Amino acid sequence: MTALLTLHAVTGAIAILFGRRLGRRAVYVAGLGPLVTFAWLIAEFGTILDREPITESVRWVPRLGLDFDLRADGFGALMLLLVAGIGVLVFVYSNAYFPPNKEGLGRLIGLVGLFAGSMVGLVLADNLLILYGFWELTTITSFLLIGNDHTDARARAAALQALLVTGAGGLAMLAGLLIVGHEAETFSLSGLIADPPAPSTALTVGLALVLVGAFSKSAQWPFHGWLPGAMVAPTPVSAYLHSATMVKAGVYLIARLAPAFAGPVGWWRPAVVTIGLTTMVVGGLRALRQTDLKLLLAFGTVSQLGMMVAVFGLGTADAVAAGSVLLLGHAAFKAAAFMVVGALDHAHGTRDLRRLPRPERGQRPVALIGAIAAASMAGVPFALGFVAKEYDLEALQHSPWAPGLVTAAAVVGSALTAAYSLRFFWGSIGRMATESPDPAVAARRSPPGLVVPGLVLTAATFVAGVVPDVLDRLVSASAASLRPTVGSVHLDVFHGFNLTLVLSLVALGGGALIFALRRPLEPVLALGGELPVTAATGYAAALRALNRTADRVTGVVQNGSLPIYLGVIVLTAAIVPGTLLLSGAWNDGDGAIVDSWSQAAIAALILGAAAAATALHRRFTAALFLGVVGYAMAGLFVVRGAPDLAVTQVGIETLTTVLFVLVLRRLPDRFEQRTAAPMRVLRIGVAVVVGLTVFGLALATGAEDPATTVSDTFIERAYPDGHGRNVVNVILVDFRGFDTLGEITVLAAAAIGAVALARAGRRPGGVRDSAAPPPVPLDRITVLEVSTKVVFIALSTAAIYLLLAGHNQPGGGFAGGIVAGAAVALRYISGGIESVRRLSRSKPWTPLGVGLITAAGAAIVPLLFGGSVLESGVHTLDVPVLGEVKLTSALAFDTGVFLVVIGLAMMVFESFGDDPPARSRDTAGGTR
Amino acid sequence: MNALLALPVVLPLLGAGVSVLVGRSRRAQRAVSITVLTAIAAVAVALLIQVDDRGVVVTSAGGWPAPMGITLVADRFSAVMLLTAAVMLLAVLLYAIGQPGAERNHVGFQSVYLVLAAGVNAAFLTGDLFNLFVGIEMMLTASYVLITLGGRLDQVRSGMTYVVISLMASALFLAALAFTYAAAGTVNMADLAGVVAGLPDGTRAALAGLFLVVFGIKAGLFPLFFWLPDSYPTAPSPVTAIFAGLLTKVGVYAIIRTQTLIFPGALPRWLVLTVAALTMVTGVLGAIAQDDVKRILSFHIISHIGYMIMGLGLATVAGLAGAVFYTVHHIVVKTGLFLTGGLIEHHGGSSRLSRLGNMVRTAPLLAVLFLVPALSLAGIPPLSGFVAKLSLIDAAVADRQWPMVASSVAVSFLTLFALMKIWFGVFWNGPDEPDAIEPPATAAAPGPALMLAPTIVLALGAVLIGLGGGPLYDYSVRAAEQLHDPTAYVAAVLGEGP
Repeated sequence: MTALLTLHAVTGAIAILFGRRLGRRAVYVAGLGPLVTFAWLIAEFGTILDREPITESVRWVPRLGLDFDLRADGFGALMLLLVAGIGVLVFVYSNAYFPPNKEGLGRLIGLVGLFAGSMVGLVLADNLLILYGFWELTTITSFLLIGNDHTDARARAAALQALLVTGAGGLAMLAGLLIVGHEAETFSLSGLIADPPAPSTALTVGLALVLVGAFSKSAQWPFHGWLPGAMVAPTPVSAYLHSATMVKAGVYLIARLAPAFAGPVGWWRPAVVTIGLTTMVVGGLRALRQTDLKLLLAFGTVSQLGMMVAVFGLGTADAVAAGSVLLLGHAAFKAAAFMVVGALDHAHGTRDLRRLPRPERGQRPVALIGAIAAASMAGVPFALGFVAKEYDLEALQHSPWAPGLVTAAAVVGSALTAAYSLRFFWGSIGRMATESPDPAVAARRSPPGLVVPGLVLTAATFVAGVVPDVLDRLVSASAASLRPTVGSVHLDVFHGFNLTLVLSLVALGGGALIFALRRPLEPVLALGGELPVTAATGYAAALRALNRTADRVTGVVQNGSLPIYLGVIVLTAAIVPGTLLLSGAWNDGDGAIVDSWSQAAIAALILGAAAAATALHRRFTAALFLGVVGYAMAGLFVVRGAPDLAVTQVGIETLTTVLFVLVLRRLPDRFEQRTAAPMRVLRIGVAVVVGLTVFGLALATGAEDPATTVSDTFIERAYPDGHGRNVVNVILVDFRGFDTLGEITVLAAAAIGAVALARAGRRPGGVRDSAAPPPVPLDRITVLEVSTKVVFIALSTAAIYLLLAGHNQPGGGFAGGIVAGAAVALRYISGGIESVRRLSRSKPWTPLGVGLITAAGAAIVPLLFGGSVLESGVHTLDVPVLGEVKLTSALAFDTGVFLVVIGLAMMVFESFGDDPPARSRDTAGGTR
Repeated sequence: MNALLALPVVLPLLGAGVSVLVGRSRRAQRAVSITVLTAIAAVAVALLIQVDDRGVVVTSAGGWPAPMGITLVADRFSAVMLLTAAVMLLAVLLYAIGQPGAERNHVGFQSVYLVLAAGVNAAFLTGDLFNLFVGIEMMLTASYVLITLGGRLDQVRSGMTYVVISLMASALFLAALAFTYAAAGTVNMADLAGVVAGLPDGTRAALAGLFLVVFGIKAGLFPLFFWLPDSYPTAPSPVTAIFAGLLTKVGVYAIIRTQTLIFPGALPRWLVLTVAALTMVTGVLGAIAQDDVKRILSFHIISHIGYMIMGLGLATVAGLAGAVFYTVHHIVVKTGLFLTGGLIEHHGGSSRLSRLGNMVRTAPLLAVLFLVPALSLAGIPPLSGFVAKLSLIDAAVADRQWPMVASSVAVSFLTLFALMKIWFGVFWNGPDEPDAIEPPATAAAPGPALMLAPTIVLALGAVLIGLGGGPLYDYSVRAAEQLHDPTAYVAAVLGEGP
């Protein structure tokens, strides 16, 4: 059975992918799947009908209970007969229906093949989740087939509606199946039915969701709106998917579940049977008002599906047998009827019953097929439809729930069915034409390919209608596989003169009467289309509401304002942890917030400067106050005894201030907007909340005072194990060198980005074309120029000293690099970018690259010797001046750090400070 | 074999250095990047096999034992993330090389891309909270550069939003680290697992919440995601693809890692689940409201992050397994979709739905390359998304979290709806704007081979992850068991002496 599924998938895919090259042959390729399936079914028929299901299992995701469990039992065989049998006929029909040079034929027919495969899988699946899987695949293939003619807006809209309605139903069903499966503790369909879980709320919800899926797929009221729309698909597709097979998937599932749940779950029968019969009546009423024969048939399908849902929904022994017959009968007559419509359309170029002419001699076989199909549909004796109707009415009379009401509704529905069947037949032979046919359009003869499949189906309808015994084995096996207590079923045409026969005749007669009196009855018939909420308006309203909600929500959430984004972020970051802190236990320590007066003084300075920076309106002054905050931080480090950090902090602050100056040259002097007062209040409020949370968190975490900290270990081990007296440096290049490696990479990437942006800005259309004011030049002072050369050399020496000595004294690669960067900054200030460029013949990215390679190399080399990444070695050297130096491999790493920082500084000036001062002075004259 | 743990971080850094030096030769740069990323993919495979065999693999940088030094750790979750990331990085690199303009005009692209790789890998492999910060910083800095590649005005403007918000997140992260160190005296995650458990519950929950917010910004959780759809779509296609695939997932990884290892049970479950549900819903509604391929896809990222967080919020083995599986699936599928989006833009000259149309006829291959990952994302079997979504919804049903079942199913439907918007706008409808030029239907491929090949590979990935769902889900369960009970992780990190 998996081989059959694979065959469908492969042949379908081939037809789609090589459609252009295959041309007409694509039909044969894709048709192979149904043909082989049909042959397989015939070969295995005996085995399956003798009540020996064929099973097969392929493991997929066993832990989720998701396995390819396939099982062909009696009911499965019946469905498979429809899927494969009608499938073969549809492929024969398609071969004649589509012009051989039709564009996209391969895609269309390949999709039909894929659909056939999905449907085979659906009826064979014995695992609820696999069943759902194939279910969704039929939805998708159906969607693509309905929208096949994608240039037609109606086709697209119909495809979308079909997808959304059946897709939503399918997802509801998934949730339902999962709930039911968890209640039953199995996802095996046969297992679930053999041992159904006890009723519970969860089961009720699960089953209801499953039913929503089944109803939407089988076009039950109120979800039926998509099926008539789907008729824009090519007629062979409609015949196959939207009458004979796919729309029966919901019926199939209800048929499987009803015997297990209809009894124990009290609401099942009232709900399912009511929906089914409502659909039957609504569909019948709507069918009577159609002029397009295809739409007439579509509403007829809706109506008949309602009947099937009602019958199978009963879940009784009578019902499963009766439903099986109805399934067969309906598939045979409805597919044939569609084929008739297709042939008429092909011959006359229309399927509107007001314009169809009377058949000519050559078209008589088509008319005959139409007649027999309509007779079976209406339930005329000696057609299979009659047999089916008899058994259905019989079963409904024995309904455990409201038999009288149910039967009455079914008779009304059947009368409507008979009426629209008549309308179909009458229309198809041109008896309802109001316009004379266009003489310019010569009728085309229907080729045999359009007639033979229909003939086969009607022959079957007729034979089984006269001697229904031929179906005994199949129907018995089907009924027994649904409800094991059912004995063997014997089908008869005539059951004696009983109530059922009377009802059948009443339905037929009533149908004839309705058809005859269609004009006077017009207002009554219109009822079907004028329910307060029709499927079409409901769908459109839901779609509009969805789009409107999406727009509104997104408009609110995604308003595009950076200040609001930031406000929401900081507020969330304050409220979430703040609330969590307050709602649980926490320590607040001994209340001591500062250690010393100097600390308090610096803190006050920081606070004041920060507040000033927010209150000021001039950019430059604000930047300077930020600098004050930075330097004050360095002061805090000094007070806490961390000179290294202080040196680095001062270096960074200096560089940052220089950068600020460079950037601010290009920006307006003052901040552009002043915020309105309420906004200011809001901002202050946010700031206060954030501040309070940070304070609370600092208090709570600071109060913990862990017994041992990693810093203690660092201090203990820095010299003995890290071979350095400068703990900070040992941490940076050794203990936590891996962090440093990452951090210099950050610097490198930032430098590259700055250069790239600056370059892009120089291209037309780049950033600089924006309305930024021209840069303000820096004046050059000759004395400064000379003296900086001296200072530059001193700074450079200091930088190298810091690098080399850093392991034992304050300093290190980072601090060294920063000082060197400051030296470069000095050169820039005095001599502009040319002066910086003269420093080295190499490009600024060379130190960057070499630095990265050195640092990464220092990390990788130990690996080559079997050590850990970045593991350091040590070698003691006697160096003149410096005395005994322990040369650690960490120095190599530190050199990498040093080089990257220098590279960064050079690249930053390269990107921000490269306007030739002379020229910018010319262009910027007078802007100051 | 502890080298395996370090190589994914240091190799790209070495490569980045070399790439900077050979900046004049595009060829040499490409060779370096391809070599490095291929090597990392190989390392990731080896590591995955080793980790699945031994459980947890640990090495200490510099030979300093935990909790003093920086530990690199790979458990099953990080190993599979590393491998997925490596494959994506390689695929997108090839795509970028193939795409005219994305990489060619920018000297920095190759080296910065390697820095991004190093950052992502470091985030997955580190066992140290501060080092996680460094890894994420590497990744972010590289992303700042990549997002503004080209330097168009709109790019820089939306890049600003991205940079400013990321910097804010980094500042918050740093503050969270400071608080954590103050309370625990260590930043080693395994060590923290023990120490944090002893903190008062308010302090513990507050820290957990702060980390959730910090990583939630990166991951794009509700209500912190707005930067994402504003900034991603303006970057060059390959950049958007790799961001979409990996960056938010690093956030998700960090959330799952910290919440399961350091703060298990610290946050109320309803909080995480509510955030997950809101993220799902607002994300997908945002997608529905858009009319641009890249913007729709960007909003989708957010929506699907919600699913992953739902797995975390369930806090059961099944939920975590679903989250792991979902994350891997989503990285592959989302990257693939964005690559297809890039091809659509390449072929049609725009990514706006109103200017595109009829591509099912003019570029049928793109239709397939869109439909496969799109249907996977919507959860259609037998593609990867089906197994992923099924595992999560199944976990929610097993845990009887009905609101989560309802929202995840509803969002699945809306996902399908939003994706169909692209299908209709790009492939079925004609262009709405009269001046839109429709590319002619030719038999020629809709893009350079080097752009198509990675896209095809990722689309196949969606199929293979789906069909191979059995062993992959089994692996996810094993990964989830490690996350659910981190004692083995802690023992492996703290027990190993120098």
